Amino acid sequence: MPGAAERGSELSEQIEAFAARLRRGGERPRSEDTARQTLSLLRKIVGNGRWSRAGELMDLIRTEGQRMTAAQPSETTVGNMVRRVLKVIREEYGRLHGRSEESDQQESLHKLLTSGGLSEDFRTPYPSLRANVIEAINEMLIELEGTTDNIAMQALEHIHSNEVIMTIGYSRTVEAFLKEAARKRKFQVIVAECAPFCQGHEMAVRLSKENIETTVMSDAAIFAVMSRVNKVIIGTKTILANGALIAVSGTHTLALAAKHHSTPLIVCAPMFKLSPQFPNEEDSFQKFVSPQEVLPFTEG
Amino acid sequence: LTLRVAFSDLIETFRAQLRDDPDVASAVAAIRALLGFLKQDRGETIQGLRNSLRDAIDTLSRVDSSVAVSSGGELFLRFISLTSLEYSDYSKCKEIMIERGEIFLTKVSLSRNKIAKLCHPFIRDGARILTHAYSRVVLRVLEAAVEAKKRFSVYVTESQPDEAGQKMAKALRTLNIPVTVILDAAVGYIMEKVDLVLVGAEGVVESGGIINKIGTNQIAVCAKAQNKPFYVVAESFKFVRLFPLNQQDVPDRFKYKADTLKTGQNLTEEHPWIDYTSPSLITLLFTDLGVLTPSAVSDELIKLYL
Repeated sequence: MPGAAERGSELSEQIEAFAARLRRGGERPRSEDTARQTLSLLRKIVGNGRWSRAGELMDLIRTEGQRMTAAQPSETTVGNMVRRVLKVIREEYGRLHGRSEESDQQESLHKLLTSGGLSEDFRTPYPSLRANVIEAINEMLIELEGTTDNIAMQALEHIHSNEVIMTIGYSRTVEAFLKEAARKRKFQVIVAECAPFCQGHEMAVRLSKENIETTVMSDAAIFAVMSRVNKVIIGTKTILANGALIAVSGTHTLALAAKHHSTPLIVCAPMFKLSPQFPNEEDSFQKFVSPQEVLPFTEG
Repeated sequence: LTLRVAFSDLIETFRAQLRDDPDVASAVAAIRALLGFLKQDRGETIQGLRNSLRDAIDTLSRVDSSVAVSSGGELFLRFISLTSLEYSDYSKCKEIMIERGEIFLTKVSLSRNKIAKLCHPFIRDGARILTHAYSRVVLRVLEAAVEAKKRFSVYVTESQPDEAGQKMAKALRTLNIPVTVILDAAVGYIMEKVDLVLVGAEGVVESGGIINKIGTNQIAVCAKAQNKPFYVVAESFKFVRLFPLNQQDVPDRFKYKADTLKTGQNLTEEHPWIDYTSPSLITLLFTDLGVLTPSAVSDELIKLYL
């Protein structure tokens, strides 16, 4: 059918464009935008893709997902969203297949002992699967919108009056967190500028607009100032499976300084940043940018 | 009299399995033997079955006092209890038990491959690995890494008193992996050259620590001191319901061989065969349930026993 083929190739083009944008890198995209774009693309694949069984859909999503993650391995939100959609498909299939709700999908010793059969094969076709999965993805998109607000709502429990809070670089989640607390409490913020892009400056400007007493300092002064700090609050790019963080350069220094002074370190991150990967292949997580900012080509 | 015959059959099945297939895990052999015992059991009640199974497990531990057999036995008992909760009619229950038992055995025979698949990406090209004594799971992981075309070298501790390290070195040489056997005392010396430590486990305790061949604790302490990752590979049927707080807490029946315990002599003169490594020294555990941090192990055990 020419209509389906057209839709198929248009979809393929969109995925290619998305992957190209990821690969180019350039300015730092918001993780939330990346997550939202990934989910919309996946929703289109589920809606318009050629598949009739859950198994085929999962293979399709896996292939497209691998293409997107290969474009920019350091953007783990893409992979996380693909995995969540796969989980949704498995759950919906399970629900339609008539399996009981409480049986969890994960392996566990309990499941090992009590299950009656070997692994699940997703071969039975269910016509309502498509609609159910699309609805579940829509729910995830709505959930995405509320993440920053949900995190900011907890701010008052963690920030007390007259505290000195340290942060690094520019994180929108932390900005919302601090702004929410500033409505009721008075506190100071020290921002590490995070060279060479100096996102810390932008953070400081935004915070001071809300009348929060803000100080900017260089990254080298982090350890020196830490003794005066009550709490460190940071955002992150990714949270790995063993609890480790992949965050902006300079966060490790901040964390080591905080540990040395026994200062609590709080991380504000939405759920789509949780990744099941482990920090074993360090090279794939690094993102290298042109040295133009530090040493312009004219001076080289 | 029939019970004694049944027990001697049980021991014979267990020993025969270990003889015929040196690669099989002793816990799996124990569970298979217990399943055979279950099949020929003539009892009529669950309670009776459980009692005779408990005696059977005791008999098996008198033959082979390792932690693995004990954990395999516990798991089998738990398996019986869980199945009996679902079905009240005894004969139907027994049928389901036998069926599920076979499925369980098939699943656990695949567990080593699952672990190898999870673990080999953590071995990078050019890595230098330190391992301890002879572990079939570690062997399988290294085999998988070789199949994935990784190049690495291995240091094995000699692991006295039974020189199990030599056996491991021989097996690794057949895989064409460059291997060096080192003295148990040389672990502190070699640790700076090593990239990661990979050991198996005879048992994984509730705190997330492990029970393994004597010398493992020393290696873990050295690894921690030099900031090297300490990885443990173990199948999930090795999870044991023990919570030792120190070395003395590990029961004597695991520390010494069954024959030594039978002679009843003064145990202070004997050398223990295993030691306990605390969870703070372990970086990650690779099991067929996935890659777990030591704190996740207690979660898994709770999910099973509660």
